[in-house]
Amino acid sequence: MFMTYEARVAWQNQILLAPAFVLVACFILIPAGAAIYISFTNDALSGFAAAHPQFVGFKNYVRLLSDDGFWNSLVVTFCFVFGSSIVGQFVLGLAAAMALSRPIAFKSVFNAALLLPNAVPEVVAGFIWISMLAGGKNSTLSRIVGLIGIAPQNWLESVPLLMIIVVNTWRGIAFAMILMTSGLSAVSPEVYESARMDGATPRQIFWRITLPLLRPTILLYMLVSTAGTIAIFGLIYTLTRGGPAGATEIIGIYIYNQSFTAYQLGYGSAVAVIMLGISVAIGALYVRILKVQV
Amino acid sequence: MIGVRKFTRAQATAYGFLTVTLVFCLLPFVWVLLASIDPNASLFLQLPKGITADHFIKIFTAKNGARWFFNSLVTVGATTALVIIVAGMGGYALSRTHAWWKRPFLYAIILIRVLPPTALIVPLYKVMLMANGLMGVLVRSIVRPASVRSTMQIFGFVDGYLGLILVLTAMQLPLALWIIKTFFDLTPKDYEEAALMDGANVFQRIHRILVPLALPGLGAAGLLTFIGAWGDFLMPLTFISSADLQLLPIGLFRSFQRANTIDYGYLSALALLYMMPAVVAFGVARRFLVQTFSGGIKG
Repeated sequence: MFMTYEARVAWQNQILLAPAFVLVACFILIPAGAAIYISFTNDALSGFAAAHPQFVGFKNYVRLLSDDGFWNSLVVTFCFVFGSSIVGQFVLGLAAAMALSRPIAFKSVFNAALLLPNAVPEVVAGFIWISMLAGGKNSTLSRIVGLIGIAPQNWLESVPLLMIIVVNTWRGIAFAMILMTSGLSAVSPEVYESARMDGATPRQIFWRITLPLLRPTILLYMLVSTAGTIAIFGLIYTLTRGGPAGATEIIGIYIYNQSFTAYQLGYGSAVAVIMLGISVAIGALYVRILKVQV
Repeated sequence: MIGVRKFTRAQATAYGFLTVTLVFCLLPFVWVLLASIDPNASLFLQLPKGITADHFIKIFTAKNGARWFFNSLVTVGATTALVIIVAGMGGYALSRTHAWWKRPFLYAIILIRVLPPTALIVPLYKVMLMANGLMGVLVRSIVRPASVRSTMQIFGFVDGYLGLILVLTAMQLPLALWIIKTFFDLTPKDYEEAALMDGANVFQRIHRILVPLALPGLGAAGLLTFIGAWGDFLMPLTFISSADLQLLPIGLFRSFQRANTIDYGYLSALALLYMMPAVVAFGVARRFLVQTFSGGIKG
């Protein structure tokens, strides 16, 4: 009753924000902190250690350094992110954005088709690609590449990493395209006009004008897309569960398998802490390099 | 003339590239479409010899599909409603406040958005187990022993809907807060101040002024929350185990993991049913997508 108007508003704002804060704290911040704590214990999902977790110091981290499965998951994660988000989605998305920035008939049809893979849930994406990539000469991919004389095979067994890169590229073209379109639309047509007047070839225009002007957009795309691609779970889990023999086990899948298949929560958490560190580093880069205004 | 020829060649390249990309994007969907109406559907792409609606009818008559769909609708619907309310209040406060915690809070939201759920899943499981234990004590002290199990299916944290809804809500909150905060930043304060001058209390201001003004922002946040939660796979996989509580993504996943007797026609119909709400929501939300990715960036 005796509060000033400003004090009352400040108090109101805190009350309004409280439910969101509590939810995020309980289900994201506390678990993130607990991951660090659990990573220093021998906690397990079942057995003796589950009831009496012991503090084991840096044992999990030492084990991690000499664990082939962990290093494998880092390499697979790098290949997956590089192949699908940095190369596949980016190149196709930029090309699609540039093609669609021209006067093109059926623009909305192309647009909708390219967006569809991004709109469907991960499980549906996995489901339909299992049909595309199934073994034997009857699967769609085997029949297509059969036209150029490549033998039919079980694609998720013979080249699993390449296949999940292809599937994720398929799924993410739209994301790159949307961002690149917004980046391209910010470039004024006069810049191109005067370059053409000066006799620049399309190739020169692309490398000297379009790409440099798109640089902030590309950087934004790279950071957001890298963070998002590292976090992918359902798409790979429905296709391969990380197999065969860890060939598609990106770090998130590795954590899940270590924790819920091998039951080693302590060790899984140590891997999770590394993954959190990588993600926070990407997030911090995003804030710093792009000078995010809040 | 040279200019014209160059123009057409560039056009042709654009059409060629777009057509190939279109085929790449749509080809996988052809199988699921054809299989859903094919009486002899198989794992492989084939032209149906006849057309049937049996697979779709089966979803609602014979098998679990309708229940999974309903379960997903309830949990994701509740999540979306909760996010709109909680993020609506929080986003408003974040936009209007000048307190010292405003900037740290917003930077924290950006960092939280990049945290991968897979890295949080183990400690989250522990948190949920603990909450489930506490809720169990509470429930047992209130309801009759016979109905403890069914009550826990609703209010439990592990293998119960309340826990799943709260987790999905928390996961979608950072983005929703950001969208709604950005939206309120662009909304003039004049209306509120005028209402304040006229003596409207805080509830009247929310009901009469803020909610109508914020409707587009709340709608965008709600749509993106729905898409995110509807497609989420990790949380229901980890936290729901009972068959009758199963959500659509996990039901679908488990059904096609079975080595034999996979009913491809039925599962295709179910997959189509599952993707439709997400596709429709995505279509409506499209124009908001750019701002969610680039939120907060100047220039």
